[in-house]
Amino acid sequence: MGSERGANEQRLVREAQDGSSAAMAELYSLHWRRAYRAAYLVVHDAAAAEDVAQDAFLAAVDALDRFDRRRPFAPWLHRIVVNRALDWARRESLRRRVAQTESVFEPLPPPEEIGGEMIAALKELPAEQRAVVVLRHLLEYTPGEIAGMLDLPRGTVNSRLRRGLDRLREAAELDPAAEERR
Amino acid sequence: MSHRDPLGAALREVEIPLLDGAEERGLRVVEAALAERKSGSELRGAMTPTTSVRRGRRPLPRLTLALGLATLIAALLLSPAGAAVRGWVDDVLTAAPRPEPTLGDVPGGGRLLVQSAEGPWVVKPDGSRRLLGDYEEATWSPRGLYVGVASGRTLSAVEPDGTPHWSFTAPARVADPRWAPFGTRIAYRARSDLRVIAGDGTEDRLLAGSTAAVAPTWSPFGDPSLAYVSGSGALRLVNSETGEVLASAHALPDVSQIEWGAGGRAILEVSRGELRLRQVQPRKLAPGPAIDRTRRLPPPEGSTVVDAALAPGHETVAAVFTDWRDHGTSSSIVLYRPGSLPKALLSVPGSLGEVAWSPDGRRLLVAWPAVDQWLFLPLGRGRQQAVANISTAFAPGERSASFPRLEGWCCSR
Repeated sequence: MGSERGANEQRLVREAQDGSSAAMAELYSLHWRRAYRAAYLVVHDAAAAEDVAQDAFLAAVDALDRFDRRRPFAPWLHRIVVNRALDWARRESLRRRVAQTESVFEPLPPPEEIGGEMIAALKELPAEQRAVVVLRHLLEYTPGEIAGMLDLPRGTVNSRLRRGLDRLREAAELDPAAEERR
Repeated sequence: MSHRDPLGAALREVEIPLLDGAEERGLRVVEAALAERKSGSELRGAMTPTTSVRRGRRPLPRLTLALGLATLIAALLLSPAGAAVRGWVDDVLTAAPRPEPTLGDVPGGGRLLVQSAEGPWVVKPDGSRRLLGDYEEATWSPRGLYVGVASGRTLSAVEPDGTPHWSFTAPARVADPRWAPFGTRIAYRARSDLRVIAGDGTEDRLLAGSTAAVAPTWSPFGDPSLAYVSGSGALRLVNSETGEVLASAHALPDVSQIEWGAGGRAILEVSRGELRLRQVQPRKLAPGPAIDRTRRLPPPEGSTVVDAALAPGHETVAAVFTDWRDHGTSSSIVLYRPGSLPKALLSVPGSLGEVAWSPDGRRLLVAWPAVDQWLFLPLGRGRQQAVANISTAFAPGERSASFPRLEGWCCSR
């Protein structure tokens, strides 16, 4: 995050803490789309992703007084988003196992838009692997930061990431050389 | 990393589904929460200047409890006795909430319009009720300032406290009155005619001479377009001011209900066996709205459509299905959202009735006549609520009251 943007964000957080709805709206507008995208890529359900993103912002509002405004806003928000998305994905997985209500419906046609294969491959990963892939590759956090966000040992983050990427490569034929270059 | 990471680039650029108005909806909720926090802290400051009590909304304990329950259930399923408890688990996960004995505040707010054998009732947000009179049908005006009521050939507008405003005698028995969102017109059927009258009870005129027994539906876009099903089974969009037919297409065979919603972008068609969403190009100016492609919403196998409703601001359909199988009748409420698989919200034994969306599109009210209850189901946060003794609530003093029909859920006030 650039220092100018960081300063601007600190100002917005301060004003939101003072009750400025305009500042909160600007923070929301700066972060909502990315938060929604991260949530969607973990839960793969548009309505649930909307709920998760909204819930994360509500949690942010709830905890505004406690927020240390010297720290960046995004990692704090993303931590809430990904953890709530994971909670949703785990509950949904369990619900499907025991209820299997979806099986009576015709499945929707597979996505045809650009990147549909990648989305489909990501969806096949366990939710825990999806979450670390999204945190690392969409939101660009380091494994150490991800470990802190998900309250996991760093080794677990690395192994989930490696397993997830291996499966994505197999499924979506990602360029391994590009991975190695990073 | 971002410049060399093909996966990162794909994740950033891939097109993902987004429900209409999602960002704006969330912003409204967040702004409301901020305003609530502000007013709460001001109030607390005034009352207890030396102590600071944080707002009590903490979802984590509930979530922890839910995850704990989920873990327990998973453990049970994976245990040797898993098969034996599976049916129980299904029941637990799909059980309706424990009902309240009487209706208190309307969950989510707004006012309800309920048709009982005695006539239509208005239910205020605090749960108090008022019988409007001996009318057979009722419809909200767009902002809930009036209720259009019909009895025999008489169409009237009354205030929500029952005070009559105007009355008009139609050429034939009035059926399916529907007040236009822009407020100045009411459409209704009289025998096979489709007629329109001004919102002040004047200027009654014939709009179409042959209609099916299906309630017409107004464009929510605020223009004078009206959709109806013709006697020949066509879904027609017509300009109610000029009578011009704007668009026409084959309606669903045996269609029993149409509803124009989703901000004017879709018309829901309902029959006993099928649900269909017609995409509409909502144009206020000439040439007006046009019927576009169709999306079929597949019902659960072997089930019958009881009722369905299109969300006020987005293309989400809530549908009630009943399944008569050897082991008895069961019903379910299913949500169809664009870009998502259909999702069963709740399954219950017995038959469910009509479904209605709350004015903000975040909650459903489902009638459950089999157990004399209403179910209030939030779509996101919040708990499911049930209210018992609905029949007697709308038939005070009656010993064998019939279950009332839900006509509408209006307005945030």
